[in-house]
Amino acid sequence: MDFGNDLDFLDQPEFGEPDFFTKAPIELMGPTLGLDIHQNEADFEEADINEDIGEIKSEGFCFKLAPDECPSEFARSLKHLGPKLADFKHGTTTLAFEYQDGIIVAVDARATQGAFIASNKVRKVIEINEYLLGTMAGGAADCQFWERYLAMQCRIYELRNSEKISIAAASKILADICYSYRGYGLSMGTMVAGSDLKKGAQLFYVDNDATRVRGQLFSVGSGSPFAYGVLDTNYKWDLTTEEAIALGIRAISSATHKDSASGGVVRVYHVNNQGGWTKIHDQLDVNEDHYKFENSKGLRGDGKEGFGKLKL
Amino acid sequence: MSTDFSLTTFTEQGILPQVVYSLKAVDNGDNSIGIKAKNGVVIATEKSSTILVDEDSYHKVQNISDTIGCTYAGIGPDYYSVIKKARKDCLKYEQIYRDKISVYLLAKNLAELMQEYTQAGGRRPFGVSMLLAGIDHDGPRLYQVEPSGAFHSYKATALGKNSPNAENFLEKRYEDDLELEDAIQIALLTMKEGFEGEMNETNIEIGVVSTEDKNFRVLTQQEVKDYLKEAE
Amino acid sequence: MSIMDYNGSAMVAMKGKNCVAIAADTRLSQQLCTISQNMQKVFKVNDRCLFGLAGLATDVATYSKELKMKTNMYKLTENRDIKASTFTDLVATSLYEKRFGPYFVVPVVAGLDDKGDGEYEPVIASYDYIGCKEQSYFACAGTSQSFLYGVCESFYKEDMNPDELFEAVSQSLLAAMDRDSLAGWGATVYVLTPTEIIVKNIKTRQD
Repeated sequence: MDFGNDLDFLDQPEFGEPDFFTKAPIELMGPTLGLDIHQNEADFEEADINEDIGEIKSEGFCFKLAPDECPSEFARSLKHLGPKLADFKHGTTTLAFEYQDGIIVAVDARATQGAFIASNKVRKVIEINEYLLGTMAGGAADCQFWERYLAMQCRIYELRNSEKISIAAASKILADICYSYRGYGLSMGTMVAGSDLKKGAQLFYVDNDATRVRGQLFSVGSGSPFAYGVLDTNYKWDLTTEEAIALGIRAISSATHKDSASGGVVRVYHVNNQGGWTKIHDQLDVNEDHYKFENSKGLRGDGKEGFGKLKL
Repeated sequence: MSTDFSLTTFTEQGILPQVVYSLKAVDNGDNSIGIKAKNGVVIATEKSSTILVDEDSYHKVQNISDTIGCTYAGIGPDYYSVIKKARKDCLKYEQIYRDKISVYLLAKNLAELMQEYTQAGGRRPFGVSMLLAGIDHDGPRLYQVEPSGAFHSYKATALGKNSPNAENFLEKRYEDDLELEDAIQIALLTMKEGFEGEMNETNIEIGVVSTEDKNFRVLTQQEVKDYLKEAE
Repeated sequence: MSIMDYNGSAMVAMKGKNCVAIAADTRLSQQLCTISQNMQKVFKVNDRCLFGLAGLATDVATYSKELKMKTNMYKLTENRDIKASTFTDLVATSLYEKRFGPYFVVPVVAGLDDKGDGEYEPVIASYDYIGCKEQSYFACAGTSQSFLYGVCESFYKEDMNPDELFEAVSQSLLAAMDRDSLAGWGATVYVLTPTEIIVKNIKTRQD
């Protein structure tokens, strides 16, 4: 691959940040990423998978395959070859729902490797650009990489068409990528939430099977059954923004309580109907929220009511 | 009467003749004495045999474990069968708990064995009463186990031919805060009462255990000789 | 996931001066889903000896009863309470009894041996699930075992009094549970002194 001479942008501190993709001059980025920005065909074509040569060329990237007789088989067998290494999937609770004044996106912040808590401060909402949010469940690297790539594609679309991409199209880009890599072990369960001026806030669910559905209410991850329980009980279209935020926090907190693989802090975003989003809570400790909620019901919060002192 | 039916059956008077006879066998045996002192236990026994038997070839006072020793009155071969079981019990206990078995528990185990032989089919009761000496978690202990399956902790006791007289003697001589050395002397004096012939280091045997090192030890002939000299 | 990790647990015991402490979380889960926050994992043998069982909850229930039975039998046959040090060997023996069909539990024993003159020897023991005994200044078990060893190493001091011991054990447990997704949801600390058993529930994260 020819990277050209001008690699200065690599040294910039914001390299890799969403802003970098969305605001960088496309002429500079294009050649370095191996993109022909002048070509007219659609860039979201199916990936060119060539197992004989041992690489996948797609969207300007070149993914090297393992020097194995059947690389896709190898990619799938990674799980067994290095169970701990390939076990990057993390337990998660993420949720998003549409209501009368936009969308609420709420996520937990725990990353686990097996039973080990790798972090309680992970960012599972990826700020794709100023009007799109993506959530992260499954493989962290897959989600981060492709949602940032999505940011780049959205920027390219803007530059080409002098208008913002629709939420439907943006989510379709991601789904198409998932489709082209089917069987290679991508792991992502994501919700794309965004807002445009034509249709207001919209919510899509996209996963690694290339499922893409528009819906009003989703929850993804190991804690989702618990979150659904709270959401389905209390959700209605006419929620005020305040109520909706409280519901999002409540659902995540409850899920982190029951689900071992979720926890840490809640992060809440609001996507409005006017083509933008705001961050409501950057980090709200689920533990404090749990005790506050239980106390409000007149309970202690440690779940030991009625058990008294342990009988030895 | 078939052999798998118990030999020990009650008489109309409610007596188990076999058990009574086994106690008789004990009373016919050589004299044995045990005395508990405040800092140890001594057990002693008489070794009567014809002049032709080599007295050094067998011991009537023996270790069951490092800390517990025993002697008996009654039928010799039965004694070895009981002691075999006692040693096994000690080792089994140590295997489970890595701890020394208490004299109480060992006596209880032996008593259970003895009792079983008064009841089970095709068996006869043992012809021995055992004296067990050792140091427990709560001090020196002297136990007597009888063929009937009864067992008791004693301050001082005597078994064998001369036991009624010996017990009388002990009752007079025993004090609660006896030193081990004094107890050994009393044991020798008691043995001397009604001893047939002259008592010397070859025809008696003594075993002691003291709270100091808690190890049960059979005294050497030289030590016995020294004690005998002292007792004169 | 190993069968040992099916229900999740964190358990730690530590020696002090004339005192010992044992602490365990109270969580019961089925893999990722928490079922109860009131599971008892520490049991009493007598006033001088406690033991905790980490591992598969169903075996914890059964094996704790088995040990209770064995110690009760001991008391009946020997007319005395079992010593803590003796109990550690009883546990090893009874685990090995099931060598070819083991209970999936990892016991931790904490107790005080009476040395006379008001002095007590603290006794701590931990095992693998078929009875290999190990005695040290502290013992750790459960899904948080590896984290616990790390934190105990830094929290342990020689000759701690009951208050310091309580603090060290609690902090070790809390720190370890923060890195273990399968343990937590409340914890109980037991400090064993010659005169009393101090039992305290400590507040933990609930996620």
